[in-house]
Amino acid sequence: MQLDLFALFQIPEQYTVMLQRYAAAMILLAVLIIVTKWQGIGIGHKLIVGTIRGTIQIILMALILVYIFALSDLIVIFGVLTFMGVFAGHTTRSNLERIPGVMRATLPGILVGALSVMAVVVVLEIIDWRSGPGEFIIPMGGMLIGNCMGLTSLVIDRMWSNAQKQRPLLETALALGATPKQATELTIRESIRSGLLPNLNRYASLGIVSIPGLMSGMIIGGVNPLEAAIYQVIIFIMIFLSAMIAALITSRLFLREMFNERAQLTVPPPEP
Amino acid sequence: MPDAPILELEKVSMAFEGKQVLRNVSLILHHNETYGITGPSGCGKSTLLRIVNDLLSPTSGSVRFQEKDVREWNPQELRRRVVMVPQEAKMFPGTVRANLVWGLKVHGMTTEDEQLKAILREVQLWPIDLDGNAENLSGGQKQRVAIARALLLKPNVLLLDEPTSALDTDSALAVEKTINSLLSDHQMGVLIVTHNKEQAERFTSRVLELENLSEAS
Ligand SMILES: Nc1ncnc2c1ncn2[C@@H]1O[C@H](COP(=O)(O)OP(=O)(O)OP(=O)(O)O)[C@@H](O)[C@H]1O
Ligand SMILES: [Mg+2]
Repeated sequence: MQLDLFALFQIPEQYTVMLQRYAAAMILLAVLIIVTKWQGIGIGHKLIVGTIRGTIQIILMALILVYIFALSDLIVIFGVLTFMGVFAGHTTRSNLERIPGVMRATLPGILVGALSVMAVVVVLEIIDWRSGPGEFIIPMGGMLIGNCMGLTSLVIDRMWSNAQKQRPLLETALALGATPKQATELTIRESIRSGLLPNLNRYASLGIVSIPGLMSGMIIGGVNPLEAAIYQVIIFIMIFLSAMIAALITSRLFLREMFNERAQLTVPPPEP
Repeated sequence: MPDAPILELEKVSMAFEGKQVLRNVSLILHHNETYGITGPSGCGKSTLLRIVNDLLSPTSGSVRFQEKDVREWNPQELRRRVVMVPQEAKMFPGTVRANLVWGLKVHGMTTEDEQLKAILREVQLWPIDLDGNAENLSGGQKQRVAIARALLLKPNVLLLDEPTSALDTDSALAVEKTINSLLSDHQMGVLIVTHNKEQAERFTSRVLELENLSEAS
């Protein structure tokens, strides 16, 4: 590239192209918002806020990712994962703001679910992370945390709305002397099952319909395709395991928000 | 054994977010007794049963079961002995048999099909397909499954919230007869909420009439 004084006062061409692309994506977002409005789904403002926040977060992340990937101290790496987990817990709370006590239930679930599985993977060296600890552990941990976040918030949403909509059934169970856990067992089981469904679909169509980013990235990065493929299967198992642990812990903890110590339902009836 | 009251309510009051629903309700229930509760819609009849079953705690006053405050009982143990059949008798997803044994199961108990048959006969619901989907039953059949399900727990107090509202007179009479025979067999007491004046007269020994506080004030 030649040194051009005028270029200093202009937006470099690569950025203008990028901004054009971003603007094009905003048109798609506008369409999306119109559709959600039209269908009365009511997540329009969340999409807008999410876009702004997400863009800033991911730009910052991209800028520091280089440094994070270069991390080699396991303690620092797990510190970063913990921070990510706390952020995930906070996210579940702000997306379910009508429900009290969300973070008290999701945060321990997400942290234990994602970090324990990641720790086992590291200790048993199920993945070969030594060649670049930050490079392997952080994105994989992030994937686990993301899935734990998704499943725990779904479980809580279901438990809460079931307690509101199927109050008489819950009351029938309690009136026969069921514990809160027994009374909600079915709801919890069903919400875990349906929460895992998208991933089960991806798992079943692995390599044919879903070509996971991590595997693609590894192959592009020069890793042996066979090795990359095996990693992908391992990652799915890790995802299922950690999400399940997170969901079980979260559902157990959330019972304390729904029932008091006399096993009385404290969830208010739904707003009219 | 001197006939100590099985259930005592003393000056029970209840308010929801400042809205008074029950004021100073007192009653004493003995063994082998059927106590009726009547009153206009919204006067707090279901609320009163929930309080007795400890699904709700009253804002003031006390409920004693077997001379012990309900708050001192383990909630599950209390609700096995003081069983409530809610106004909207809901079926759990699954078969009729699964619904009948649901209460027993949560307390770690089991039963034979013979016993199910016997209890179903008593609530006039035999013959029935025990493996059929409970959701497909009629409203009246569901009510009787709900009553049978509660009776299988052999409670000391049975709380019935309009238990025969979906039944014809013959079935209602049969259910009443069953409950009456169980009263003496099990030293049981019954609190029954009913809209039906005739039922209150023929079935209960005493009636508590609640009034609508929100209208009175
Ligand atoms: N959980 C609750 N939160 C707030 N208000 C409640 C709650 N439960 C009951 N109420 C109110 O208390 C009042 C009494 O309700 P309840 O269900 O006890 O009446 P009821 O006498 O059983 O009426 P019905 O004969 O129609 O069954 C009603 O005004 C109801 O809106
Ligand atoms: Mg009622």
